[in-house]
Amino acid sequence: MSDTAAFPTRSSQRASRRPLQAPQALRTLLRSPLGMLGLAWLVVIVVASLTAPLWLPYPIEYQDFSAVLAGPSAAHLLGTDELGRDVLSRIFAAGAGSLITTFLAAVVAIGVALPLALIAAASSARIETIINRVTEIAMSIPALVIIIAVIGAVGTNLYLVMTCLGLLIAGGIYRVFVGQAKSLQSQLYVDAAEVDGLRPAMVSIRHILPNMATTIFVQFVLVFAIGLMLQAGLAFIGFGPQPPEPSWGGLIQSASKQIYVHPWLMVPTGLVLVFTVLGANAVADTLAGGQGAPPSQVALGPEARRRRRELKAAAPVAVESAPEGMLIVKGLTIGVDDGPELVSSVSFEVAPGTVLGVVGESGCGKTLTALSLVGLLPPGVNPREGSIRWGARDLARLDESGLAAIRGREIGFVGQEPMRALDPMFTIGYQLAGAVRRLRGVGKADARAEAASLLGKVGIVDAERVLRSYPHQISGGMAQRVAIALALAGRPKLLIADEPTTALDVTVQAEILSLLRGLVAETGMSMVMVTHDFGVVADICDEVVVMYAGQVIESGTVHDVLGAAEHPYTTALLAADPHAGLGVVGQERLASIPGQVPQPRDWPTGCRFADRCAFAQPQCVVPVPLIARDRGDGGVRCVRVHELQLGRLDDPVPLDAATPVDGGADPTAPTTAAAPARNGKVRS
Amino acid sequence: MTAETLNAADVYAGIGDAPPPVLEIEDLVVRYGRGRAALAAPPAVDRVSLSIQPGETVGLVGESGSGKTTIGRAVLGLERVTSGSIRFNGRDVTNLSAKERRALGGDLRAVFQDPYSSLNPRLTIGSSLAEPLRIAGVTAADAAARAGAMLESVGLPADAAARYPRQFSGGQRQRIAVARALITNPSLVICDEPVSALDLSTQAQVLNLLADLRAERKLSYLFIAHDIGVVGFLAQRVVVLYRGQVMESGPAANVTTAPVHPFTQALTAASPVPRPAEQAARRAAREASGVKTAGNADFAGVGCPFAARCPLATELCRTERPPLRAVGGSLAACHYAEEAAARPIA
Amino acid sequence: MILFVIKRFALAVTTVFVVSVLVFLLVHAGDTTPGVVAVGIGGTQEQIEAYNEQIGWYDPLIVQYLAWLGSALTGDLGTSLTNGSDVLDEILRRFPVTASLAFGATVVSSVLGVVLGVTAAVRRGLADRLVSVFAGMGAAVPAFWLGIVLVFVFAVQSSLLPATGYVRFEDSPSGWFSSLVLPVLTLAIGGAAFIARQTRASMLEALGQEYIRTLRATAMPTWRILYVHALRSASLPIVASIALQFIALFGGSIIVEVLFALPGLGVAVQGAVGQADAPAVQGIVVVATLVVVVVNLLLELTNSFLDPKLRTS
Ligand SMILES: Nc1ncnc2c1ncn2[C@@H]1O[C@H](COP(=O)(O)OP(=O)(O)O)[C@@H](O)[C@H]1O
Ligand code: SF4
Ligand code: SF4
Ligand SMILES: [Mg+2]
Repeated sequence: MSDTAAFPTRSSQRASRRPLQAPQALRTLLRSPLGMLGLAWLVVIVVASLTAPLWLPYPIEYQDFSAVLAGPSAAHLLGTDELGRDVLSRIFAAGAGSLITTFLAAVVAIGVALPLALIAAASSARIETIINRVTEIAMSIPALVIIIAVIGAVGTNLYLVMTCLGLLIAGGIYRVFVGQAKSLQSQLYVDAAEVDGLRPAMVSIRHILPNMATTIFVQFVLVFAIGLMLQAGLAFIGFGPQPPEPSWGGLIQSASKQIYVHPWLMVPTGLVLVFTVLGANAVADTLAGGQGAPPSQVALGPEARRRRRELKAAAPVAVESAPEGMLIVKGLTIGVDDGPELVSSVSFEVAPGTVLGVVGESGCGKTLTALSLVGLLPPGVNPREGSIRWGARDLARLDESGLAAIRGREIGFVGQEPMRALDPMFTIGYQLAGAVRRLRGVGKADARAEAASLLGKVGIVDAERVLRSYPHQISGGMAQRVAIALALAGRPKLLIADEPTTALDVTVQAEILSLLRGLVAETGMSMVMVTHDFGVVADICDEVVVMYAGQVIESGTVHDVLGAAEHPYTTALLAADPHAGLGVVGQERLASIPGQVPQPRDWPTGCRFADRCAFAQPQCVVPVPLIARDRGDGGVRCVRVHELQLGRLDDPVPLDAATPVDGGADPTAPTTAAAPARNGKVRS
Repeated sequence: MTAETLNAADVYAGIGDAPPPVLEIEDLVVRYGRGRAALAAPPAVDRVSLSIQPGETVGLVGESGSGKTTIGRAVLGLERVTSGSIRFNGRDVTNLSAKERRALGGDLRAVFQDPYSSLNPRLTIGSSLAEPLRIAGVTAADAAARAGAMLESVGLPADAAARYPRQFSGGQRQRIAVARALITNPSLVICDEPVSALDLSTQAQVLNLLADLRAERKLSYLFIAHDIGVVGFLAQRVVVLYRGQVMESGPAANVTTAPVHPFTQALTAASPVPRPAEQAARRAAREASGVKTAGNADFAGVGCPFAARCPLATELCRTERPPLRAVGGSLAACHYAEEAAARPIA
Repeated sequence: MILFVIKRFALAVTTVFVVSVLVFLLVHAGDTTPGVVAVGIGGTQEQIEAYNEQIGWYDPLIVQYLAWLGSALTGDLGTSLTNGSDVLDEILRRFPVTASLAFGATVVSSVLGVVLGVTAAVRRGLADRLVSVFAGMGAAVPAFWLGIVLVFVFAVQSSLLPATGYVRFEDSPSGWFSSLVLPVLTLAIGGAAFIARQTRASMLEALGQEYIRTLRATAMPTWRILYVHALRSASLPIVASIALQFIALFGGSIIVEVLFALPGLGVAVQGAVGQADAPAVQGIVVVATLVVVVVNLLLELTNSFLDPKLRTS
């Protein structure tokens, strides 16, 4: 067995949890030339072998004494063997037996592994443990050795031998299946079916099995490939079907005896075997490939080279330098290389010591904007136009080494998922002290002490214990504090925080916000706070930009934007916020916005909010510039802003805290209390 | 802790002529895991009692890991109940088998948090919707007709039935999940964080939908959320959980605007409002209140679970579990609820 | 952690036990009795039965198995039916051959596989495509075919290396080395292909994780991100795949030993099975399993040590 690709490992298990849909799987296969080629070869070989008796040029035992050990010729396309038998005929005559028995191995392996996996996934932990142990034993048995012992006992009965192989390999297949079956079993639609009282067996058949189809097929093909190789190997060492009955391994074995005399004989059978296994693997790879790893966070190989080339080739744009500690973003457009635009001409400034909020719904480009400010855009996504001025440099046009000099030291970054932001393999002390050494150039001992004091600064009391801990040993709130400490390790002047509190409990969020506010006040650093929560904006920001579908649609001071929003989207979003009514009861309806944020490829050329806007008019189909806001500094991207005067409504929030409402508990009360729904205009 | 003080139905639904509750949970305890270590740890749900009247929505709030979802799953029969009882429309439904659950005939349904995993990607919307009806023995044609009608009543075109979940956005899927829950005409729906994965604008759409359907169909909801603002919008009564225990329960107005338990106070104070001046005042009040950081404060299982963070905690709190008792218009599990209620809070 | 080690150890012992029972049953399932083999072609029925009687062949299976187990635990694996030699001695004599082969192939395939996998993941582009061609071919070319091709190229055509045979290390270290080059390569290519694929996938998986962004945000040089952090994460699945590969390799060595006429355990088991030499089959299979299980256990403990979650539990 020289191929164990069917055996799982951690990452193949993880990958297999993202099942392809059947039609999707077929499409993937058809789109990949390699996969197609593999499939085509398999079909040809199987059909040709099964129909061999109908078309073979020679009977398998026919001996052509005029051409013993001949090379390819018109009479014998693939030559002849030492007895003058036609090689082509023998290969295809041997095919049926080899393929059918191998098929049997695959059927047995899947047939045993699949029910076990379904049962293990659906049963209690104890039963699962038992099944796991049994399969682990099967996995650590050297299969070939046992199979040879079986042959010793019962002779070379290929059906039996391949059944044994199937059984022995089932352990490995089970590992692949059970991982996926368990993750499917934990899906909420399985819970829903259980609530309905669907029988466990039916749950497996209806909800688990169909979602495993691709994995099952992939494993089937892989076992098939293994079986083919093993069978050939057995035949080679003399445990195959006994001559004169041809088998692929046997053909190779007799060819090997002629290696000094007539090496050609090795070639045809070997190649057929190799191509068949290759074909099977190609099909499996193509299907499994659609479930690949997440895209790399580091630009690698050609992608990195391409970016370097582009930066070098780009004409140097003269940008005036920004004042010390000031971040000036102008007309920043970000797009996928050779793909759609994701952020369009975003502009804002962040003055030292201030906090800018970037707010909007998901998919509006907040994260990409934030990442671009630290040069951390994912590979393949790059700034296209505009500038990010920081001191004398333009971060939109800086290469990796230029960015590395700024990251951490001048601009720090904190992400959304604290538990995933730390490397699980290293202690927090190692990661934090390492960052301190790198960013401040201090010695090992000093770095450790500094790491402890940083943790103290972010409100961690038992710093020494946390330094010794691994990320999985601390809570989410704690991890976010550590992530903030990491971002502060180089004493940056600007901190970019992408939804740093979204994954946390509100009580922890309040603590983290207090911490950040304290840091801003204490160190005079500035901050860009990305969030979807207007409450967070109200709590910590000085200025705010509201993003919608890749554009800034409103900007201004927090006081102006939250207190007197002028863009229909901002007003509507504020009205939809249940926290606006916090402390207010009896609110029967929230104002809501129909529809959803459009995908980048669906952005219209005119106002991108027009589809959902209650005030949309024919004039809204033209591209809308950012217009100076009615009151205060900042801009609004709405052609009707001056006409609508949304900001001048005496109360832009649907219900103010002072509205007297009784705490009515009657659910059937008429829903008249608040603004009419689906109407951006609130409170008439 | 006496049975009288626990029976919320008596306190709030008026004495005597109140209709029997839809759901009655009494002294529910759920433990995860087996073995000595699991037994030593405090249970995930610790002696929780609550009841829901017909047409009433009870909100269940708390931090992550406080046991909200576990309670919902125990009611649905998805989690083994260690002790205590769950009665649904007067019938004991503690630890039901699949067969017994089938017999409930879809009267008890659920909407889950994650719109992406709550629909089987391999089934059309129509067959997902029809599944509960088919299990209940409805013919395929009837089930399809009802699925179409139900889709329309949640604001989706009836032809959505022929499509697959991947063709819908998160908000639309959550509407479909609501449709799937309501298709059997249930009297109670367990909503486990149905909007927390959604954006503001879609969240409002789904919350409004839930409110409309409730009015239309006289539904009861057990509405689980970590966000007290969202709960306050939909619920008439709110139950606040901390580490598996009920800290406070009472009318939504009381709990969200005038909480009497120090934990509820911390929770409401921490929730930011989108009005800068008001939020600044709330923040100042919160910082002055002296609530300690969540940190890694472990709860050994004795005394008040909130004692490690509570600004009012005394020795008594650390040694004796406070009973749930009437304070103001609510029930609170706090030795010093009167003092807490008197404090100025945001 | 200690509990984990105990559990793994128990599983290893169970595996060897299960295999010993299995082989015992298989040996008894055959229709050739030991007497037939031991007495030889000319033996009479009485002689055969007398022999069988003497070794207890007609005792209940459980008695026979316990007797075998008892002596096996004291290091006595019985004597060969064909040449009367002590099975354990025979195994010990042959063990160095198979061990050199298997360990050599494991080292070569691990080093080659990891280097190629990392290169493919990091350099992408052409390097990636070349490695995936290698991985595809390596997984598809049967060891014996590859071996024959290697022999043809290096021994027949250019006589750089010996085609077959084994030289003992004691006799000539350099001879030992060159006698092993082709067999080890033959055995290692398939394993290297498998490990390369696994390494590449694990590296890419690691590079897609969010903490990589944190590392970049704190100005960690790219080479450190790749070769310290990503590789460290990838090390767990890589070691796991090496462990799996070793199992396959040990089995695969039979074919290679036959091909290169190496006097190892593989050839011995082939011969013993061919001649129905029950004690030899039983002894060799159990010892082979023992070796595989021990190596596997070591790799697994390595892995649990590499995994902070397990180590701190
Ligand atoms: N690496 C990427 N490749 C292609 N599209 C992307 C990538 N990252 C994000 N996008 C797309 O860009 C848009 C904006 O994404 P994002 O910045 O994450 O928004 P937000 O942070 O506001 O939720 C979305 O439509 C998203 O699907
Ligand atoms: S430009 Fe027109 S569609 Fe767009 S927000 Fe203004 S009023 Fe609405
Ligand atoms: S019982 Fe004590 S510790 Fe618990 S909430 Fe009340 S005052 Fe705080
Ligand atoms: Mg985002």
